[in-house]
Amino acid sequence: MLYGLIVFLPLIGAILAGLFGRWLGDRGSHIVTCGLVTASALLSVPAFWFVAIQGNTQIVELFPWIISGELEASWALRVDQLTAVMLVVVTSVSAVVHWYSIGYMHDDPHQPRFFAYLSLFTFAMLALVTADNFIQMFFGWEGVGLCSYLLIGFWYHKPSANAAAIKAFIVNRVGDFGFALGICAVFFVFQSVEFDAVFEAVPRFVDTEIEFLGTHLDTLTVITILLFIGAMGKSAQIGLHTWLPDAMEGPTPVSALIHAATMVTAGVFMVARLSPMFEYAEFTLMLVTIVGALTAIMAATIGLVQNDIKRVIAYSTCSQLGYMFFACGVSAYQAGVFHLFTHAFFKALLFLGAGSVIHAFSGEQDMRRMGGVWRMIPMTYALMWIGSLALGGIPLFAGFYSKDIVLEAAWGAHSGVGQLAFVLGIMAAGLTAFYSWRLLFMTFHGHSRASHEVLHHVHESPPVMIVPLLFLAAGAVFAGMLFAPLFVGDNHGFWGDSIFVLASHTALEEAHHAPLWVKLLPLVVAVTGIGTAYWMYIARPELPARLAEQHRELYRFFLNKWYWDELYDILFVRSARAIGTFFWKKGDEATIDGYGPNGVASRVLDIARRAARLQTGYVYHYAFVMLIGVVAFVTWYLFIVGM
Amino acid sequence: MIEFPDISPAITELWLAIAAMALLLIGVVRGDRATRMVVWLSVGVLAVAIWLVWSDADTSVVTFSGLFVADRFAAFAKVLVLLGSALALVLSLEFLERERLERPEFPVLVVLATLGMMIMIAANDLLSLYVGLELQSLSLYVLAAFNRDSEKSTESGLKYFVLGALASGILLYGATLVYGFTGSTSFTGIAGALAAQEERSIGVLFGLAFVTAGLAFKVAAVPFHMWTPDVYEGAPTPVTAFFSLAPKVAALALFMRVMLGPFGGIADDWVGIIGLLAATSMVLGAFAAIGQTNIKRLMAYSSIGHVGYALMGLAAHSPGGVRGTLVYLTIYLAMNLGAWGVILSMRRTDGKLVENVEDLAGMARTRPFLAAAMAIFMFSLAGVPPLAGFFGKFYVFFAAVDAGLYLLAVIGVLATVVGSYYYLRIVKVMYFDEPAPAFLQPAGATIAVIAVTAIFTLLFFLFPAPFVAEAHLASLALFP
Amino acid sequence: MAPLTIPLGHFLSVAAILFTLGVLGIFLNRKNVIVILMSVELMLLAVNLNLVAFSAHLGDMVGQVFAMFVLTVAAAEAAIGLAILVVYFRNRGTVAVEDISLMKG
Repeated sequence: MLYGLIVFLPLIGAILAGLFGRWLGDRGSHIVTCGLVTASALLSVPAFWFVAIQGNTQIVELFPWIISGELEASWALRVDQLTAVMLVVVTSVSAVVHWYSIGYMHDDPHQPRFFAYLSLFTFAMLALVTADNFIQMFFGWEGVGLCSYLLIGFWYHKPSANAAAIKAFIVNRVGDFGFALGICAVFFVFQSVEFDAVFEAVPRFVDTEIEFLGTHLDTLTVITILLFIGAMGKSAQIGLHTWLPDAMEGPTPVSALIHAATMVTAGVFMVARLSPMFEYAEFTLMLVTIVGALTAIMAATIGLVQNDIKRVIAYSTCSQLGYMFFACGVSAYQAGVFHLFTHAFFKALLFLGAGSVIHAFSGEQDMRRMGGVWRMIPMTYALMWIGSLALGGIPLFAGFYSKDIVLEAAWGAHSGVGQLAFVLGIMAAGLTAFYSWRLLFMTFHGHSRASHEVLHHVHESPPVMIVPLLFLAAGAVFAGMLFAPLFVGDNHGFWGDSIFVLASHTALEEAHHAPLWVKLLPLVVAVTGIGTAYWMYIARPELPARLAEQHRELYRFFLNKWYWDELYDILFVRSARAIGTFFWKKGDEATIDGYGPNGVASRVLDIARRAARLQTGYVYHYAFVMLIGVVAFVTWYLFIVGM
Repeated sequence: MIEFPDISPAITELWLAIAAMALLLIGVVRGDRATRMVVWLSVGVLAVAIWLVWSDADTSVVTFSGLFVADRFAAFAKVLVLLGSALALVLSLEFLERERLERPEFPVLVVLATLGMMIMIAANDLLSLYVGLELQSLSLYVLAAFNRDSEKSTESGLKYFVLGALASGILLYGATLVYGFTGSTSFTGIAGALAAQEERSIGVLFGLAFVTAGLAFKVAAVPFHMWTPDVYEGAPTPVTAFFSLAPKVAALALFMRVMLGPFGGIADDWVGIIGLLAATSMVLGAFAAIGQTNIKRLMAYSSIGHVGYALMGLAAHSPGGVRGTLVYLTIYLAMNLGAWGVILSMRRTDGKLVENVEDLAGMARTRPFLAAAMAIFMFSLAGVPPLAGFFGKFYVFFAAVDAGLYLLAVIGVLATVVGSYYYLRIVKVMYFDEPAPAFLQPAGATIAVIAVTAIFTLLFFLFPAPFVAEAHLASLALFP
Repeated sequence: MAPLTIPLGHFLSVAAILFTLGVLGIFLNRKNVIVILMSVELMLLAVNLNLVAFSAHLGDMVGQVFAMFVLTVAAAEAAIGLAILVVYFRNRGTVAVEDISLMKG
């Protein structure tokens, strides 16, 4: 009952605000959605207590859901330690974002719709983290994707927002396709989609092979790789990450909720949830580690030179997700989830703080037109400092504990890929510190580069925006300190059966015995990064431009985000277009609604016209066609008899 | 001695017949003023009929010397038909009043057509099949031409009549051949005779071909669909809405009962034909709708496509397939009702009803509730998860794959992809185009129907199990 | 003198010819809708002939009862068809089949 309420209260809010928003009005929608989500957040605290502290894990059967032949799935809530942690993260951040949005969206004309989407998203995310079978997880997975699409494109009259929404949708389709194939493979191999049944059967399928297109492949490796492709899409890992920065076109609270704290971490959650499968697939774990490490460093380098305040944070998110993945890759799922937990607080704080800054600058997002306002908005300034300190991994702040344990676990894996992840992770940590303080210095210090008009209007955000931030700030300060012994401490009892690690995978254990230099290195690198940022943006402000001039190629490479979008444009978009024009040269001119030359579409249109032309309007033609049908039927039956 | 038949299983039909005559009397005595009252009374009559069917759903009896059967399958289909008719009547009231078509015959004809459909669903003999079918068809011909001062409406009535009469003739001719070569008109008798025959008689197969063709006309499957777009466009809009709801369900239920009952034993012979009907319907429905500008015509092609999907379940000729089709019809009924509710609300402030896709432009800004509901219906018709339409397709596709009809399933998926284009185009027009003048506020009853169907479509995924379980029990009635 | 019996096949042939005539009448005729109504009646006649012939052949009364029903329904059908035709004529002033093509595509 308790768990059911946590999951379904946001859905009720979404329905009320979505369907009756016109009657409820803005204020009514606020009260309904914020109230219900807050209630859900409050309920998740006792849930955390019962489940995580007292260890009462359970599976709550709600109702049978899909029954079709062999495929049986009920809607059940799987409440174990992992779920409990996610429940706390999702509901609390969502509640904070709901409250913050009241202030942030106060002059938007479509507020009920916005709040309905937010609550709907929360429901879908909760459905995902409480899933007890693959189908339900996929449902939540698609649900959050759909809500994310709706929210990114919320300002649908803005063409860039539309384009970003569509891009997010399409890139995620690639990942979801992998995920769906993975689920099909799971059903095919295990004859079940229930987690318990599948996990129980996994050890029996170690070293078995399935045949696919004539090649024999290791069963578990194939399945886990397919599932991981899904995780890569949702969590914006290298190759499928391009949608995340663009998604910043959505309203800022959306970025905080979806693109920092919850949806993008679904991939990490999925890998942790399916740890009983991933553990037996060594090759996939290696792949996860490599992908995570590469993403961490790649996104960090791009973050160095971005000028849009939200894009910097978006790339930072991408990079931090890389950390979580390589932690999972070296079997330190606990460390990965711990980083997910702390990251949710400080990254949501940074996003909402950035929103507050943008709010203060009357909608300006370019850091080159900010600066010198720290006295005017002291609260925001202080909160951004707290967020950055946590992100940079400065002791006592949340990020310090989680990032250190992730890096130590990578070191502790004592494997090739583990070392690679460790080295790249340390480098990324330095870069992270650098761009975080670059952001702080460019935004708040130095001479203001904003126009007088804008500067005149700079103002602190209203309490309804600041108070939620204080809550997140508390999380960013204390979440690491308080929960580190519990989540990743020496005593491994906390996670119970929710995370499974083979006895031979000892990265987390080793991490506790890492030498002192391993423990200190991240901090040293971070302080160096902060120092460099200070030197370049406060002490010698002319330096960055000169540096960019000297290393123009590198600078361009980073600024253009490693040319990923261009690469995809050439590889997929243009080549597809080239093939299209080659095959349908004639159909090229026929465009549908200005959606660009599209060969297939014009063929379809041709067929459509022909089909419509059959419809002449003459009764005798219609009768004739019917008669042809009758003759065809008779012929068919005689043919059957003839056989 | 002639025994008086047990009339209790047919109580719903008797109730409808008597009520229809009473309603007609009220209409005749009180004149056009009584239209509103007669409409609401008819809705009440249909609601009582639903209660009558449902309170005695769990039976399986044959009466009237084997002409009439009442079982779970019939109960399920009857409830759908009655719901479709009643809600279509609710939607039609505003139209009748605004277009000065207030004539009490309208609801009476709808009730009579519904009675015909009930008899079709309960038919257990070629004779009752024919009588039910004709009662339904004759009422529908008149309804199509109901706006007798409109050229389009009368033309659509005439076209429907001519082609419908041809189809009836074809069906009857087939029925006589089946009768002649099996020696029985009763479904049980035919099944028994076919089982006893060592070799397939050509006469029966000839007859089956004609019967299939006649039934395919009633469900509007390709190539017997040609009447649909013209009639849908020309008939008054609430009539079109009605056409796309209850008669489709009834005809498909009849189709399933005929193919799986008397001819269930020779399923291998006709599976290919039904598969062909399904495939061509899905493909034509997807392609031909693309170029349409008139939304009623577009919905006509859309309904042809949906009949294709529903027939896919029949082609699977398994309980799972029938169950899939029944679930599909349930969902189809809900989302189509809602969509027609929105189309009936496309009334400009000068009181004129418009019916072009472009007229929906920018509705998201002028009537956000209607636009949101329409978007839900369109996404659902396109089969986008997690809306109801996805589940409908899911069950029939699953049944088809289960029965080994892979090619059909693949064609179905491709048709879905093509078809989603024109559904999404409507969403695009509503949300991204420059707004056209706003529509009038629709009547409360219309809004209620739209809201209820939208919520059903939206939230079906939470509780599909009771519907599926009920459809499952219904499907078992056809496989004794 | 032995009674003159006509075998079943002859009846069926005649009925089939009548039916085909009816069908052809519907889609070959482009002049007058009344002809279509008559063709429909012709088809139903063929059906009745079939029914009665089978009934006699099988020694089963159902066929003849069926024929009665068909006759009745055919009358109703013709009445409704003519009614719609009259309404149509009032609107368009023509009953030519070729003119019934306001709606197409």
